[in-house]
Parts: sequence; structure tokens; C-alpha cells
Amino acid sequence: MEKIITVGLGEYAVSQDPDEILVAYGLGSCVGIGMYDQRINLAGLLHALLPIHPMGSADQQSRYVDTGIKLLMDEMARKGADRSRLIVRMAGGANMLVAPGFTGSFNIGTRNIEAAYSTLYSLKMSIAGKEVGGTTGRTVKFYVKDGRMTIRSIGNQEREV
Amino acid sequence: MTNSSQQFDEELHSLLVVMAKEGILNAAKGMSDMVGEQLTVSQPLVKRIPIREIPNLLGGPEAEAVGIYLRVEGQIGGQMMLVVPYPKALDLVDLMMSVPIGTTQTLGSIERSALQELGNLTGSFFLNAVAATTGLNSRPSPPAVLVDMIGAIIDIILATSDTLSETVLMLQAKFMRDGREADADFWIIPDRNTIENMVNRE
Repeated sequence: MEKIITVGLGEYAVSQDPDEILVAYGLGSCVGIGMYDQRINLAGLLHALLPIHPMGSADQQSRYVDTGIKLLMDEMARKGADRSRLIVRMAGGANMLVAPGFTGSFNIGTRNIEAAYSTLYSLKMSIAGKEVGGTTGRTVKFYVKDGRMTIRSIGNQEREV
Repeated sequence: MTNSSQQFDEELHSLLVVMAKEGILNAAKGMSDMVGEQLTVSQPLVKRIPIREIPNLLGGPEAEAVGIYLRVEGQIGGQMMLVVPYPKALDLVDLMMSVPIGTTQTLGSIERSALQELGNLTGSFFLNAVAATTGLNSRPSPPAVLVDMIGAIIDIILATSDTLSETVLMLQAKFMRDGREADADFWIIPDRNTIENMVNRE
């Protein structure tokens, strides 16, 4: 029986229960980053809000793409994952506010994607599948049993990345 | 929480309630003029809402909604958003265009433009009343209309807040038509600097 585990704003979750599906609902400019170790069926999903953790800030690290990815990876490693086996998928990073007068400072979605690319690159991790950018929100499901990631957006059918 | 921050919260709360009451009543007047029907407004609430709970407002993060978003700049800085469930937004367009309810089926450029104007008017009426009450002047940006999942719309507010804290201070009111609730939520999220300035003025 499938069980939904909601991964809220600025949170992450890790699971080894094949019945569980990690879900981040309604990602706009936020990004969802999933990691999967097939050998031990361990899955983790991060729902990050902003690109770079401010230096010296006591703010929760999982809210930021750069520190959130490292937190998630450390947690996966603690549970037995091997970095070389991790499959990474990501979605989100839309630029929701496409209107005159709102360009420039509002491109948080793009900055989130760039932060994810550079953090993963520095950790020598590649991305197996992604659906990022655009201007629409997405719900992301990450299946613990096989590491599949599916995306739903309004007016479109659910699809796999 | 310390005593001083409790006191800060209480002072701020009463200040915002006074400001909200006048502002939101005036905003309802602006919105009524626009839609051509008498809209009333529920007692405005001033709340601190934990960030992680925000997407669960208004029917959950996947519910389809329309957000009409404005930035506020000047002596008061912050964000304003009219949030309307999608079917209710279609009804509002019908009212503004003086056609029978149920006529508008999708939001094209004309319909979005009408909603922008609605946000513009509501926001301006709010800020005018706030200026009259507090002497603080500010102006709204051009409005942006977002049609998407609630969770995705709300990312805008969180991602553009000047400082991320555990909670967001939100001033919330519901507009009502014929005594029935839930036509629109009106949120005002003052920037942190604005909040501090307002308390220091006292």
C-alpha cells in the first residue's frame, strides 16, 4: 500500500520503505532534488527554497539549495548510501513572475537551478533526469521502490523525468 | 520567546490591526466599485504563520488559484496579494465585465488584464487608507497575475521576502459577497524593515 510522505518547504526526507513516495507539492521557484541509491533502495528528496545559504547565518540549511544538497547527501551516506552510486533527478525552478517591472531581482527560479548545477558539479555528481525552468508550478513525486521521479503541473499529464 | 519579543509582537499586533481595519475596509470599497457589487470584508486577522504551513492555506498546495501580486515600495515596504480560487476568479471577471456568472471559462489576456486592474485598485485603496491613518506614504508596483498551484504562487512571497525567518507576518482578510465567504483572500506581508520602523515610531 502506497504511503505519501510530504516534504514541506525547506525540508528533506529520506526513506528505505518501498511503499513510500516522497512528495513535494506545488513547487514554483523552489527546486526538488531527489537522490537514489539503487543497491540499498534508499531515496531522499530535498525541497529547497533559495539558492545560496548566507555566510554565517543560523538559518535552516535545508531551505537553501547548496547546503540542502550537502545535508541530504550526508544523511543518505549515514544510512549507507555510496556517493558514486547515487542517481540524481531534479525538478522545479520556475520563474513564476513573468511581468513587466518584475524582471531581474525575481529570477529566483533560475538562480536555484544554477545553484543546484554548481553544487552537484562540485560534488562530482551528474543529473540523470530533470525538468526545470519554465513558468509553471510542479508537484514532484519520488518513488522509494525504484527511484522514479514524476512531475505534475496544471493542465498537463503526469510525466516521468 | 523572550518578554521583549513578546512585547514587540503585542505592540506590533495592535498597530497592524488598526492599520489593517481602515486599509482593508477601503480596499473592499475599491473592489466593490470595480466589480459593481457591494462586497463586505471579514474582520482582518493579523497572524504570524509558520513558513511551512503557508502552502496549506486555501485548500492546499496543489489547489489551482489566481494570485494578483503587487510589491509595495516607499515608507512602507512589503508585498500584497489577492488570492482567489480559480473558479471564483472566473466569477469575478464575469462581475467586472457585467456578464452572467459562468460566462468566463478561461483567463485570456483581457480577463487577466481585468484581474490586474482589480489588484491595482484594491492595493491602491489599501495603501491610501494606510497613508491617511499613519501618514506613511508608499506606492504599489504594477500588478502581476499568476495562475497556478497555490504552493507555486506562494513561492513568490517567500522567495522575495527580505529576510527568511521561521514565520511570516501576515495580515489576512476575506472578501464576501451576499454574506458568503471565500471570494478572495487579501494578504499583506510587510518587509522586516517596515515592521521595525513602525514599532520605533510609537
